[in-house]
Amino acid sequence: MRPFWALIRKEVHESRWTLVLSTLALFGLGWLFVYVTSLNEAEIVRQLGSDSGDIGGRIRFLRSLGIEEEPRSVALIMASWNHPFILIVISVWAIGRGSGAVAAEIERGTLDLILSRPVARWVYLTAHICVAVAGLAILGLALMGGAAMALRYNVLRQPPGAWTLLQPAINLAALGLPIYGYTLLASAVDHVRRRPASVGAVLTLAGFIAWVIALIPVLRDTWWRPWLERVSIFKAYNPVELVTKGQTLGVNLAILGSLGAACITLAFLAFALRDLPANG
Amino acid sequence: MVDDDRLIVTEGLTKVYPRVRALQSLSMTIRRREVFGLLGPNGSGKTTTLRLLLGLLRPTSGRATVGGFECWRQSLEVRRLVSYLQGELRMYGSMTGQGLLELLCDLRDGVGLDRAVAIAERIMKLELGRRVRTYSTGMKQKLALAQVFADPVEILILDEPTSALDPSARATVLELVQEARAQGQTVIFSGHVLAEVEQVADRVAIMRRGRLMHIEDMHARRSLRMLLIRFGPGPEPVIPPELELTERERNGEARLMEHRGELTPLLGWLATAPIADLAIGTEDLRSLYDRFHGPNVPDEEVPS
Repeated sequence: MRPFWALIRKEVHESRWTLVLSTLALFGLGWLFVYVTSLNEAEIVRQLGSDSGDIGGRIRFLRSLGIEEEPRSVALIMASWNHPFILIVISVWAIGRGSGAVAAEIERGTLDLILSRPVARWVYLTAHICVAVAGLAILGLALMGGAAMALRYNVLRQPPGAWTLLQPAINLAALGLPIYGYTLLASAVDHVRRRPASVGAVLTLAGFIAWVIALIPVLRDTWWRPWLERVSIFKAYNPVELVTKGQTLGVNLAILGSLGAACITLAFLAFALRDLPANG
Repeated sequence: MVDDDRLIVTEGLTKVYPRVRALQSLSMTIRRREVFGLLGPNGSGKTTTLRLLLGLLRPTSGRATVGGFECWRQSLEVRRLVSYLQGELRMYGSMTGQGLLELLCDLRDGVGLDRAVAIAERIMKLELGRRVRTYSTGMKQKLALAQVFADPVEILILDEPTSALDPSARATVLELVQEARAQGQTVIFSGHVLAEVEQVADRVAIMRRGRLMHIEDMHARRSLRMLLIRFGPGPEPVIPPELELTERERNGEARLMEHRGELTPLLGWLATAPIADLAIGTEDLRSLYDRFHGPNVPDEEVPS
């Protein structure tokens, strides 16, 4: 086990600044979105209080905000958890770690340093995966932590409980698994970092665009929209539905986890069977 | 592990890439407790051979064993026996020298750290508290060498171990190689500096374009004498075969001969033979190397 823990320490050492900065960013965003929700709610209450009893005016005001019914506080918060900033932070971590696992180490010549020692390839890759997955969990929890902390200092009509925040946080972390998985797979068969990083970025962006197109209301009745929706991993991350419509977290985790696990398994196989050329 | 004296064995070892035949049917044996030199220009297959031995590359055909373990399928067991200094050295720049030694020792279950630190600080004169990225290329190589020589393993594989070192550090490395052999370790020394290889190697393999061209026993070579003889007028005398005197070149009346046998019979024969002129000397490794890689050797034509 000593080599494994040494590799864990090495991976943590190498990724510490990315992880710290990403964690702070998500913590800050979690806080910010609660703060913004608090301001929005205060504005809603102020507007509604000024014409209390006028149901029509209340509905018109809500519609002016793009909302069909008076939302729960958590739904307002979760609407912002789909923000591209959050998805970018998760994607950057997943793509960065995935592409760095094998291809980047070969490119800079440091994989020889590790694998000329008596370390099995699967041990090396397992340590890398553990740190990457732990990082995803930390990032999800950072977003939740920022929101939870902000709830202490901001007033919401219906402040969500810890479990309510934890579910989308877990879902967000799980969203990183397939992104990490397919980038890792590309990294496991390559020897320069730029290609697996590009593969990871292109696939993630394509999935995101497919998901956005699938959500466009005027395209709702097209025959291809369901297919477009299905090919995007982002369909399995919908924090608003998760907390408002009782969409099961388990299904999302199963979809994202299976995709991630399949890619990671293939990466193990590819890495175990491949040649490890010298750098350059 | 096998008791056999043959520690490393390759049989028809071949590595082919889509556009390059990196190694062609390499068959050789490296014995325990010897320093085995590996010579050849860039692209001759030296590093490919070393990487095949470490199990970093899978052979296209043939096989290699280290200590009885098959290099690709039992790579982990092989790497327990081996410490490797890579040719193009790269390190984690954000770590300190101490941190890197700790990492590398932990990857070998924590053994050898004290010795690695001692070699790095006392012999290589490194400041281990500094980050590796602040080290010069030579200092990084010294750090890696400290680790390799500290590993309690049976085999050291050194790929161009002195390439970035100053002359005094080169001498230190050669001393450490000799010390390793004295302690019973086997060393594969791949390099370009012929004088260094000549100084420490027991045997030398010369490679060219992925093929093993020649293996030279350096002990026999050190007892090799080169004789430049010009016989006097009249018929040339018959050279008795028991003298082990063989002709390498003939240039007009001058004959260049090599002798590997006992000296006394040779001197006795020389005293009686009709010799007009005689010069006796030795031959360095360069002369042997140039037979395979010299400027006058055509690309596709090399002596056997």
